Amino acid sequence: MDRDSIGILFRAAVDDDDTAAWKSLVEGLSPLVWSVVRAHGLRDADAQEVYQTTWFRLAQNLTRIREPDKVGAWLASTARNECVKVIRAARRVSPSDDGEVFDRVADDRTPEQALIDSEDSARERERARAAWHAFQELGESCQRLLRLLTASPPFSYQEVSATLGIAVGSVGPIRQRCLRRLRVLLGGRGFR
Amino acid sequence: MSDDELEAELRRAIELFDPVPSHLLQIAVEAYTLRTLDAELAELVFDSLSGPSRVRGGRQPRVLTFQGAGLTVDLEITVTAAGGRVVGQLMPSRRLEVEVLGGRPVTLMADDLGRFVYDDVPAGPFSLRCRLGDATVVTEWITV
Repeated sequence: MDRDSIGILFRAAVDDDDTAAWKSLVEGLSPLVWSVVRAHGLRDADAQEVYQTTWFRLAQNLTRIREPDKVGAWLASTARNECVKVIRAARRVSPSDDGEVFDRVADDRTPEQALIDSEDSARERERARAAWHAFQELGESCQRLLRLLTASPPFSYQEVSATLGIAVGSVGPIRQRCLRRLRVLLGGRGFR
Repeated sequence: MSDDELEAELRRAIELFDPVPSHLLQIAVEAYTLRTLDAELAELVFDSLSGPSRVRGGRQPRVLTFQGAGLTVDLEITVTAAGGRVVGQLMPSRRLEVEVLGGRPVTLMADDLGRFVYDDVPAGPFSLRCRLGDATVVTEWITV
């Protein structure tokens, strides 16, 4: 979702009380919020709570946001702050014991489900599954970095640096290293 | 395959295998209709979980302060395995209804000294709403 559309939808939600515009905004920017939450390694319950708080906050602050086209950045930074708090509260942080994630597809139908259901795309599905499993075999730091870089819209190196606390100059090299490992893992599964 | 292509492929795989759960999308859509129009916002001005001087590993309660529209709300949140407990203090201190928004909506009554207690707080987003004179004041949402 590009900035212009975000700005237009946001203004419609604020000025015209346009529920449909809000819904589009939620659909367009939810994956971004989800990426941020996942990039912090929160387990499912925490991830879901932070996601909700982030959207409740946006709804509450609609009239206070000055730059509608930057609402994506606002959401990302709000989600990040909430993640940090959840982690600091040190209640329930465990990065990768998330068995549920594997089977989510079965009961959560998304538009991409069409792809899954299509027999013609069996090969693509296998490849995507291999990529997903290879991704999960990566170290935690690679997973976090790639979550942000594959977010939609993707994080800039600057934003990655601020979110993960690594030097801007290191983001590129770490990205390359992580993608190299991913490639090796995919290769090991017979995909290249 | 270039790095960019591999990243694009990973993006598709993540969208496919770790999508935003649909019930969450629904909750976010509903957040819009649940917002309190014309409410004054009591902003979070202090949170013991913020800032550089974090206290590690303790079981100390989380302390928060919200301010706005002439109202200050102090909260102390203790989370145990059994659930959360919120102890609140309104200033100016007065007897007021305090509405809890979030997972388990409930209305509390602050006593003459502005104190209130909310037990068995479910995990999840949490905000308080009360009427002060003509104004409706809501606190910023937090994650309990």
